[in-house]
Amino acid sequence: MKRLLPLAAIEVLVWALMLTVLLLISRVAYAINIGAGSLPDRIATQIVRTSVSVIIVVVWLLAWKKITDVHFWRAIARESTTS
Amino acid sequence: MLDILSAASIASVLTVSFLVTFAATPIIGNVMRKRGITGRDVHKSTGVRLPEMCGIAILIGLAVGASICAVAFPNLIRETAAFMGTVLIAGVIGFVDDLRPLNARIKPLLTAVACLPILILGTYYSHPLIPFVGPVSLTIIYPIMIPVAIAVTSNAVNMMDVMNGAMPGTVSVILVAVTAILLFSAKNGTAALSAALLGALLAFYYFNRYPAKVFDGDTGSLAVGAALGALAILGNIEAVMVVALIPHIMNAFYGLASVGGLYERREIRERPIRILEDGRLQASTAKAAPITLVRILLAAGPLGEREIVREMIFLTLISSFLALLTFGIMLVGRF
Repeated sequence: MKRLLPLAAIEVLVWALMLTVLLLISRVAYAINIGAGSLPDRIATQIVRTSVSVIIVVVWLLAWKKITDVHFWRAIARESTTS
Repeated sequence: MLDILSAASIASVLTVSFLVTFAATPIIGNVMRKRGITGRDVHKSTGVRLPEMCGIAILIGLAVGASICAVAFPNLIRETAAFMGTVLIAGVIGFVDDLRPLNARIKPLLTAVACLPILILGTYYSHPLIPFVGPVSLTIIYPIMIPVAIAVTSNAVNMMDVMNGAMPGTVSVILVAVTAILLFSAKNGTAALSAALLGALLAFYYFNRYPAKVFDGDTGSLAVGAALGALAILGNIEAVMVVALIPHIMNAFYGLASVGGLYERREIRERPIRILEDGRLQASTAKAAPITLVRILLAAGPLGEREIVREMIFLTLISSFLALLTFGIMLVGRF
């Protein structure tokens, strides 16, 4: 159970971050409005919204990978010193 | 609401698919052994060989269960056909892969093709429910995302199928949550399909749990993964399924991120884990080895295969609980 807790914590954190990312996309990315009058304005708005959403998702994935990498290599180092 | 007739139908679908798979698995196992279609149980120092491709028994149980669904829920016959079509195409791809291993880049592309019955029969709703956002209109993007979804779920489940009982054990936990969510959403027909898969997997778990007597092979794991993707699409529970599959996605994502792209298990030079003399498994310390969920679990010290699978199932229990919580959040947001 002791070894499971950090992974369970990462799982809950990933889930919480996923919900935060969705909230950010809905409140921040979808709030961006360059203009809706002309077709180029509408296309530009869609491109900027999608780009911001993708950046938020990539940051989430990088954070997820970083957290796991740190946990994994620390656990390996700890195990190597104790055994 | 769940009426008595629907409840009885779902219970009978679960029972029948369980019994059929339970009866079919040893028969398929014997056939495979006689034909020499066996694989080495790589996490046992004894080098025991077990019959491969016994996931065919899951497909048989599921097909019988789905046939009952088609009779019990005749208004959902197109959905049932799309579901079984997707599962069978993925199963055939797995069958080919078991006999002649496919390239790591070709396999995801082929599994994406399994979504064709869903696209052709139009059994999808292009407004997925997203927490905090509600239904999002993705009329153009949604059909394009369906092949990606089927490829991701089938390959994620396939990549988790590395230990005795890991695939049927973890997916069964997910299916309990998914069936409950579908029932609560009044999607009784899709819940019955989910129950059929649950019944088949519970029966298969009996033979595949540690120490395994049979392997499901890619025939089983790709088909079961595709079935999960199809359930998410047919039941309009995409976000919930993503959450339930977090351990599987974690495993696939870590592996791909650490190796730097798609890889085939058989092609890996540095194995992520190694067997100790006492039979326990230990995480490799090699930088080049892929970081898989099992390797992360073993980072804190060696463990037996049975314990590792127990921990994988525990992590899936947490993700399934989070999936229920996500569904709750979406319900609160709706009302």
